[in-house]
Amino acid sequence: MSKVYINSIGAFLPGEPVKNSEIEEVLGLADGKKSKNKAPVLRQNRIKTRHYSLDKDGNIRFSNAQMASYAIKEAVEKSEISLSDIGFLASSTTIGDVLLPGLSSNIQAELNIGPIEIASMQSVCASAMMAMKDAYLQVKADEHECAAVCGSELSSRYLKASFYENTEHFKKHGEIPMESDFLRFTLSDGAGATILENKPNEQGLSLEIKWIDIRSYSHRFDMCMVGGLSENNDKFWGDYKSPTESENNGALVLKQDFDLLYKMFPVWTSHYLDVIDRKSLDPDSVDYLCSHYSAHSLKLQALSLLQKTGAHIPEERWFSNLYTKGNTGTASIFIILEELFYSGKLKSGQRILCHVPESGRCLNALMLLEVV
Amino acid sequence: MFKRTNVIGGSMSLAQNIEVKTDLEKNKEYCLRQLAKIWVDFETALDNVPIIAKLQRGKFRLEDYKLWLLNHRQQVIEGGRWISLAASSIGHEHADLRSKFIKHAATEHKDYKMLEQNYVSIGGSIQEIQAHEKNIGSEALSSYMYYQAGQSNPLHLLGAMFIIEGLGQDKASKWADLIKEQLDLEDSQVEFLKYHGENDEDHMEEFYEVLLSDILEIDGMVEKIIKTAKVTARLYLLQLEEIGNY
Repeated sequence: MSKVYINSIGAFLPGEPVKNSEIEEVLGLADGKKSKNKAPVLRQNRIKTRHYSLDKDGNIRFSNAQMASYAIKEAVEKSEISLSDIGFLASSTTIGDVLLPGLSSNIQAELNIGPIEIASMQSVCASAMMAMKDAYLQVKADEHECAAVCGSELSSRYLKASFYENTEHFKKHGEIPMESDFLRFTLSDGAGATILENKPNEQGLSLEIKWIDIRSYSHRFDMCMVGGLSENNDKFWGDYKSPTESENNGALVLKQDFDLLYKMFPVWTSHYLDVIDRKSLDPDSVDYLCSHYSAHSLKLQALSLLQKTGAHIPEERWFSNLYTKGNTGTASIFIILEELFYSGKLKSGQRILCHVPESGRCLNALMLLEVV
Repeated sequence: MFKRTNVIGGSMSLAQNIEVKTDLEKNKEYCLRQLAKIWVDFETALDNVPIIAKLQRGKFRLEDYKLWLLNHRQQVIEGGRWISLAASSIGHEHADLRSKFIKHAATEHKDYKMLEQNYVSIGGSIQEIQAHEKNIGSEALSSYMYYQAGQSNPLHLLGAMFIIEGLGQDKASKWADLIKEQLDLEDSQVEFLKYHGENDEDHMEEFYEVLLSDILEIDGMVEKIIKTAKVTARLYLLQLEEIGNY
């Protein structure tokens, strides 16, 4: 079995950064009215700028597969390999460009490489770690010497105000519900990619993957962040006579159940506490915590428990760019790592703990990296 | 709270520049991590117990509350007694801890009276609640508590306290509010739950204080506390699952 190294990381953020004041110029206004939820949501998530593939004229500039392919190309540019060295491609996304085939097929076609082995992971944020784990095991098991792993999201398609105007809820109440507006003002677009190899870079630093631990708690929870379920949670989007009827019943929009979300915080925390003992992880030995999760939310939810259990990693060791690059779902952890890897801050021997929780139906993923 | 020593000298790693923990501190943190995991599993399982699930989906009936009080009273009445028994099983070497157990028993040993008043206030009969037998889950929980309390120096019962006081702190107020709202009751009619919701926070602080004292230095104590918490959680669920089954 081989050791596995992240040797290069690429990121692609479409267009110019969009400021808070410009969000609705891109996503549009539902029935010409500004959202009442925008200010409270932005106060809560503290995001200042983000990127959208959607432009102000309503055009999608880059497809999901294109963004992923640009991130992979950038990662290859920065690496000691060529595109043709990639033997395995794992991609992750929440919603691909098409219902089928899988995203990796379309990314491979964009890259014009092959024949290669591929895997397409579809979940929510933590699909990034599913793809990473697959590629890690492929290289570790000597199935491939070099793998590309990417995460990409094109959420803006589904955040457009016009997507909500025909729902019964909007017709009745004249506004987009908070459970959807929260996501509209939180999510944005982007892609990130890593190149994994069975040997470290000859020049410069690499990140050795020590382990990846993923646990799903879907047997205990209902769906929390969901797309494709009717407003009353009684039908799937394809169960209606027509897509129009599906749209009217709110089955084509994204939504988040907050009561369930708050119940997930202690479960995610308990997975982390479990990993500390199962993987002999000493939180004091972690130099950087890259979490797809904000330190201020964590403080509210779990600080006291983490302190009492010796699991707390102080905020000065957190590294995040969610506030400037947006919450790009499955792409976020790659985009965070990309900035840290090329920041000049890393030194050999340092340890990076990556954390990606997922509220889809409760899942938590952790990955430990060591700078070599 | 903890005594720490600083690592002298620089290091390549930022993280290594911070304080180093003693084995005892690590042991305490390990114990609390395990307890936190047990709590999360317990909390999730609680949500799936039929009577709690019904309360949480807003479909609670007055007869559910009545039945719950009728069943709960039969084990609450034992609480002060098994804590007293545990106190009498604690040797002189832990006299300070024994004081805490005695004080705790004194605080709680008449709680069941409040519960009886709540039962009467919603139309229940005092004779019936006082004469009623335990459900089969409460039988198991009480038997286990008495057995453990009779062991020499049963300090591992802190594991049971963690679960039971944790319920008071975390759940009692929420349940009281849901019951009050769904059944349109007065505060006084959910007083038992309200009282525990308001006071068990202090009990949890007391729990942490005791746990972070020296008792975890006793050989095997950490594992015994963890096991006691696990069994208590399982049996607590059982008495809720078996409401009405005598």
